[in-house]
Amino acid sequence: MFPTPSTTKLDRERVYEPAEDSFLFLDLLQEELPFLQTRFVTANSPAPLVVELGLGSGIVTTFFHKNILPDALFIGTDINPYACHISKETSKENGNTRYFDVLRTNLWDGLRPGLVDILLFNPPYVPDVVLPSIENAVKTDDWLDFALLGGPDGMQVTSVVLDRLAEILNPVRGVAYILFCRRNRPFEVAKSMRNRGWVVDMVDERKAGWEVLSVWKFTKS
Amino acid sequence: MKLLTANFVQCTVKACGSSPDCFPLHFDQQSPDIPLELAHEDVDYSPEFIYNILPRIEWTALLTTARELGNAQLPEKKPEIENPHAPENEQLLKDLHTLLLETQVIQGSMRCANCGHIYFIRDSIPNFLLPGHLVQ
Repeated sequence: MFPTPSTTKLDRERVYEPAEDSFLFLDLLQEELPFLQTRFVTANSPAPLVVELGLGSGIVTTFFHKNILPDALFIGTDINPYACHISKETSKENGNTRYFDVLRTNLWDGLRPGLVDILLFNPPYVPDVVLPSIENAVKTDDWLDFALLGGPDGMQVTSVVLDRLAEILNPVRGVAYILFCRRNRPFEVAKSMRNRGWVVDMVDERKAGWEVLSVWKFTKS
Repeated sequence: MKLLTANFVQCTVKACGSSPDCFPLHFDQQSPDIPLELAHEDVDYSPEFIYNILPRIEWTALLTTARELGNAQLPEKKPEIENPHAPENEQLLKDLHTLLLETQVIQGSMRCANCGHIYFIRDSIPNFLLPGHLVQ
């Protein structure tokens, strides 16, 4: 069992605090270590680019560079300006890595297409009638809802990512890990993605309070 | 923002996506409000790490970025390195290490050569959020 990175610099009023969903993500990445090593740590293969969308505290990316693929390249994105800063602090606090940068953006806007080898996404999956708006967040300087709320079925943001997955992932070796709660209907989502030519596997699921969380893996081959 | 990142990003305005001019973004015109500020930040040197990054790099774009930031020392063609530990490669790999990983753009701006949109970098974080009228 690898240790959980520390996040002592975190301001919980401004950035989502690591919770059950984050820890599930860490556990699963650990289970995926053999797969990821076989796929990416081979002689003469270029360093993989790991991109985490909405990285918040930075705990997942930090765990990844500390324990899973220390020689990969890391980029994180977040719409929340406080998360952009604190995630870099979290990485530093836990020993840093050679290449890690954070872009303030929506999803992966600004990244060139086809570059991402490993996409990590713990989305705002909680069903809610409203979706947060940037205009409102700018006015109130409150960005926390972006980490949580995903519209009526909690799938508003995840659907956009799934629809555009082929655009951002490396077509040959790209792999995406995305977290779902049961109310997102992940089995139906998996079926529709398979119909669109994706190889989809549930890595694991876990009960967290009254929620059932699962992480799914998407590849083209 | 590390200099290497400039090799991974492009203009996010939708209409620019199909233009060859959306990449790389340019550092050649800086705003007086946020003057360009570079800093050196130490990173552990590993010849293999640089060697493994090389295949990912768009060399022509890197040359442009490096020149605009004041470094005209790079070879015109991407070097073909077979052994990262060979003594004749040491200087080049160390130079690339300094340039790509240790050079931080603390603040400044990047310009799209196609649409002219300016992306600001503050506290070493580039901002790719577009103003409302440019979001489709």
